[in-house]
Amino acid sequence: MNLSALARSPYASVVYVAVAWLVLVPLFSISPRYLPPLGTVIADARSVWPDLVAGFWRTLVETVLGFVAGTILGVGFGIAFAYSRLLERALFPIFVALQTVPVIAFGAIVVIWFGNTIMAKVVIALYLAFFPVAVNTLRGLELADPQRIALMRSFGASRLQLFLKLSLPTALPNILIGMKLAVALSIAGAVVGEWFGDTVGLGVMLLQALYFEQIPRVWVLIIACGLLGTLLYGVLAILERRYVWWRPD
Amino acid sequence: MSDPQADASRSAPLPHLQMVNVWKRFGEGERQTVAVRNVDLSIAPGEFVTLIGPSGCGKSTLFSMIAGLLPPDADGSVLLGGKVQQDGQLLGKVSFMPQKDLLFPWRTVLDNATLALEVEGMPKNKARARAEALFPEFGLKGFERHYPHQLSGGMRQRVALMRTFLFERDLILLDEPFGALDALTRAMMQRWLLDIWAKHRRTVLFITHDIDEAIFLGDKVVVMTARPGTVKCEERITLPRPRDGDIVTTPEFTSIKRKLLAIVEEESMKTFAAAS
Ligand SMILES: Nc1ncnc2c1ncn2[C@@H]1O[C@H](COP(=O)(O)OP(=O)(O)O)[C@@H](O)[C@H]1O
Ligand SMILES: [Mg+2]
Repeated sequence: MNLSALARSPYASVVYVAVAWLVLVPLFSISPRYLPPLGTVIADARSVWPDLVAGFWRTLVETVLGFVAGTILGVGFGIAFAYSRLLERALFPIFVALQTVPVIAFGAIVVIWFGNTIMAKVVIALYLAFFPVAVNTLRGLELADPQRIALMRSFGASRLQLFLKLSLPTALPNILIGMKLAVALSIAGAVVGEWFGDTVGLGVMLLQALYFEQIPRVWVLIIACGLLGTLLYGVLAILERRYVWWRPD
Repeated sequence: MSDPQADASRSAPLPHLQMVNVWKRFGEGERQTVAVRNVDLSIAPGEFVTLIGPSGCGKSTLFSMIAGLLPPDADGSVLLGGKVQQDGQLLGKVSFMPQKDLLFPWRTVLDNATLALEVEGMPKNKARARAEALFPEFGLKGFERHYPHQLSGGMRQRVALMRTFLFERDLILLDEPFGALDALTRAMMQRWLLDIWAKHRRTVLFITHDIDEAIFLGDKVVVMTARPGTVKCEERITLPRPRDGDIVTTPEFTSIKRKLLAIVEEESMKTFAAAS
C-alpha cells in the first residue's frame, strides 16, 4: 500500500481526528469542560481499564443479542406482512405507534417485567432494532420483479420456490440496510437499558460519569461506544460485501 | 382398417399447439383494451414458426397465454397435443423465454442456466453437469462461474436461451430474443440458433419485428395485424435448409420479403395512424 492510499484509508481518519484534537485544544485554549485534552482522556481510560474492558464486553453482548433477536423477529414479521395483507393491516399501525413511545418509557416497563437482568437490556435493544428490519424486509420483498415471477411460474415454481429463489434474494440488500440501521439503535437500547440500574456496562459508567461530572470519563465512554458501533457495522459491511453484493435492478 | 378418420390423422399429424378463437381483453367498459382478437393458429410438431407484427399488437400477450401465465378469455381455447388446457394447466409445460433475459444477478451463469431444472427438483449436481455439457455449444465455455453483469448483451441472451433449452419441453416460445442485439451479433445468433434447433428438433414459436429474421428462420411466417391483433396471413417458407447467411440475397428470399413487407407496412401504418 503506498502513502496516498494509506492517507485515504478509513483508519487514517482516526489519526486525523487525534491530530486535530491534539492541535486545536491548546491552540484555541478550549476549556476542559467542553473538550479535555486528548492526553487527559487517555490517562483516564487507563485508570479504569479493567472496568472499561468489562463494561465494553457486557454492552457488546447485550447489543449483539438484542440485535440478532431483533433482526430475526424483524425479518419474520417483514415476511409475514409481505404475504398477508390482513396481518399487515392489523399489526403495522400498532408497530408504528410503538415506535413513537419514548424508549425510556418502554424501558421502565421492561425492567418491571424482567428486573435488572441482561434480558431486560436485550429486550430494549430488540425493541429498537426490530422495526427498521421489518420495514426494510417488507419493502425488499415487494421489489421482486413481476416479469421474473412470471418466468418462475412458467417453470412451474411453487410459492415456496418463488420465495426462496427469487423474493428473498431480491430483498437481501434491503434487509441489510435495515440491519445497519438496527446496529446503531441496538447500542442505544442496550445503554439506555443499563441506566435502569446495573453494575457493569458502558451505560452504567456513563451514568456515573455524568453524576460525578467526570468530563474526561464521558469522552472515554463516547469513544468506547463509537468503537463498539464501528466494530459491529464493520462486521456487517464485510458480510454484505462478501454475500450480498448485488443490487435490485 | 379403412377408417377414413384414422387415415386422415396419419397423413396430417396432430398439431402440437392449436389456438382456437383466442381473445384477450384488458380492463372493463369504456377503458377496455382488446389486446388479442380471434386468433386461430396451428403449429405442427418440430415446426419453426415466426410471428411478426407491429409493436403493441399483442404478440407478448399471446405468448403469456400459451405459457399459461394469462388465461385466454372464455371465447376460445388453447390446445396442447390436442387437449384443451384449463387455467394454469400450461404452467410448467412450455419452455418460455421472455423478451428480456431476466437473469438473476446473484446467480452465476451456470446457476442461471440450471434455474428451471432446480425448480423441477433435479439435484444441483446433476443439473449443473447437464448444463456444463451445453456450454461449448452455446459459446459460453469458461464463463460458468461469471456473474451476469460481467457478460455482454449477446452472451446474456445465450445464457437465457440455454436456460430455456435446458427446461426440456417440446414447445419453445422465444419473444424477440435478439431484438436488443447489434446487427452483426444478431446475424451470428440466428445461424447459431438454427444449428441448435436442427440438432434438438423442438417446436419453436419465435416473435420478431424483423422481416429478414422471420423469413430466414421460419418454416412459416405468421403476420399479425395492428392492435387488436389477429392473424392477418400465414406464409410458408420453402427455402431449403440448412440455410446460411447468403440466402438473404437470393431472388426467392427477396420476393418473399417484398410480399411480406407490403403486408407488414400496411399494418404498421395503421398503428402509426391510430397513434397520431
Ligand atoms: N396487463 C395488461 N393490462 C392492460 N393492458 C395490457 C396488459 N398487457 C398488455 N396490455 C396491452 O395490450 C397490448 C398488446 O401488448 P403486447 O402483447 O405487449 O404487444 P407486443 O408484444 O406485440 O408489442 C398493448 O396495447 C398493451 O398496452
Ligand atoms: Mg412484446
